[in-house]
Amino acid sequence: MEELKKMVAEGRDDLVPDKVRALLDQGTDVEAVMKQALIPAMDQVGELFQSGEIFLPEMLVAAQAMKAGMAVLEPFIKGSGVKPLGRAVVGTMQGDMHDIGKNLVIMSLEGAGFEVVDLGMDVAPEAFVAAIQTHQPRIVGMSALLSSTMTAMKKTIQAIDDAGLRGQVKIMVGGAPVNREFAKEIGADFYGKDSVAGKVFATEAVQI
Amino acid sequence: MKIPEPFKKGADFEALRKVLMRETTGGPVPIIELMVDGDPMAQVTGLPTPISSMMELLDFVEADGTVSPESLEKGMQLMDLSLAFARDVGYDYVTTIPVVPIPRTRLSTSEATGGQVKRAWQNEHHGLIPDREAFEAFPWPSTDAIDLITLDYLAPQIPEGSKIMLFYFGIFEDLRALMGFEQMAVKSIREPQLLGDILEKLTVLAEATVDRAAAHPAVGAIFYADDMGFNTSTMLSPKWFRQWLIPCLKRIADACHRHGKPFLLHSCGQIDALMEDLIETVGIDGIHSFEDNIEPVESVYQRYHDRISVLGGVDVNLLSQGTEDQVRARCRQILDVCGPGGGFAIGSGNSVTNYCKIENYYAMLDETKKWNREHGF
Repeated sequence: MEELKKMVAEGRDDLVPDKVRALLDQGTDVEAVMKQALIPAMDQVGELFQSGEIFLPEMLVAAQAMKAGMAVLEPFIKGSGVKPLGRAVVGTMQGDMHDIGKNLVIMSLEGAGFEVVDLGMDVAPEAFVAAIQTHQPRIVGMSALLSSTMTAMKKTIQAIDDAGLRGQVKIMVGGAPVNREFAKEIGADFYGKDSVAGKVFATEAVQI
Repeated sequence: MKIPEPFKKGADFEALRKVLMRETTGGPVPIIELMVDGDPMAQVTGLPTPISSMMELLDFVEADGTVSPESLEKGMQLMDLSLAFARDVGYDYVTTIPVVPIPRTRLSTSEATGGQVKRAWQNEHHGLIPDREAFEAFPWPSTDAIDLITLDYLAPQIPEGSKIMLFYFGIFEDLRALMGFEQMAVKSIREPQLLGDILEKLTVLAEATVDRAAAHPAVGAIFYADDMGFNTSTMLSPKWFRQWLIPCLKRIADACHRHGKPFLLHSCGQIDALMEDLIETVGIDGIHSFEDNIEPVESVYQRYHDRISVLGGVDVNLLSQGTEDQVRARCRQILDVCGPGGGFAIGSGNSVTNYCKIENYYAMLDETKKWNREHGF
């Protein structure tokens, strides 16, 4: 298991699938592979990223390696009773077509065991509302690059509130111009300075 | 709303140059911008603009590297607008760009704030060079294809005492545009030499452009724009930048310095880990781009102003979302710290975007004028 964890952390998507298969062949159960190797590996990568010891590319290749491992596990997960940690809906704001930050958040959430619905870019407030109604997530993530598009966060939170859905979701916001004060002002639950901070918040939120 | 009165009458690039090169601590704090979008320039001058935001300029070069007659016409209109804008506000320079016909992916456009603000966006996922094969087949333009028509067009028209500031879109920006950001990030680990080879091609073009532009007598300085950071760190590791990008930037800066012109760097994001390399190895003369979320301009000024000039600093977020009073108060805070020691020019933290409030832009200019007057200038 330690070897698999190391492979994921080092982004070895060429080696991870065979290692996962070997573990399953040896009788290791699906949940153990996820919880003792894949997820801890991504946690470790997230911590190194936050402390400045590694950078975005290293996170990306680790996530690719995790995905390669998950692809092997996928058919077994369905029958195993393993449930995702929680569900999240994530998108960039209306008018905003920058999604590196949003994709990093998705990567971090998936790495922690979340099921994530990616709404994509340039997402209207009503599309967030519809996605919450359809997917019933506990977490909603919003991302914006520009001052002109971060104002759509307020409108989107208002739309969620108007639809009577605000109480069932925890809303986290992030992006270059966003800060803690702005998040508080618009009624978000959390501002994350990076994707790992978002993952930590979401993980705690679904366990409350 | 047209500008009520200019920041100052007449241009004096020599005075600005002395500030950029830290040759004086006396004199008024000048104003500087890397870029002003078409919409605010149109508001200031009352003239029409062919484009809303400056990112649209990248679409002037077609996917095959050519420039259409329509884009050329728009380019001419834009230069006339830039000229009128610089004159009306009282800048010491007029900004333009070179034509470097590198094929790029088309931009996407979006509308925000109820359709009032249009922005153009680079594709972050797919580029024209995903792999080695595409690199080999790519129609790299030769240095002969670089066109400095913009300099020749503007040079006879700039106001007396003014110079041209040449904006160059950086090689790391182009690397990301050509590969797509995610592809580039992953390949920086899996296939670093491919990035190195693309950078080499781009450096040859940048070096030649800057060398020829800086040799032009009407050019006062090169404003080289290359975003290298996010809010919290550099986009790739500092080690990668030191190995692959810094040597290229040094060649480009050297091409500028050969002609005795200031080389100013614009880079967004938290790039403090690279500052020693940028100052000592590359030899930048000034640094631009500040966001209060990352680090306020004052603390950067205090750390580096004895080695390079510090430029801009008024957060775009404030210029777009704040009130006039807030903008005036923030300008005064910045000026009180950065003004007296020299080596500082004020302006937006990034650029005057089409979503900045024009009254806030005017407030920034007016408060600086007042501050200068109060300090005897």
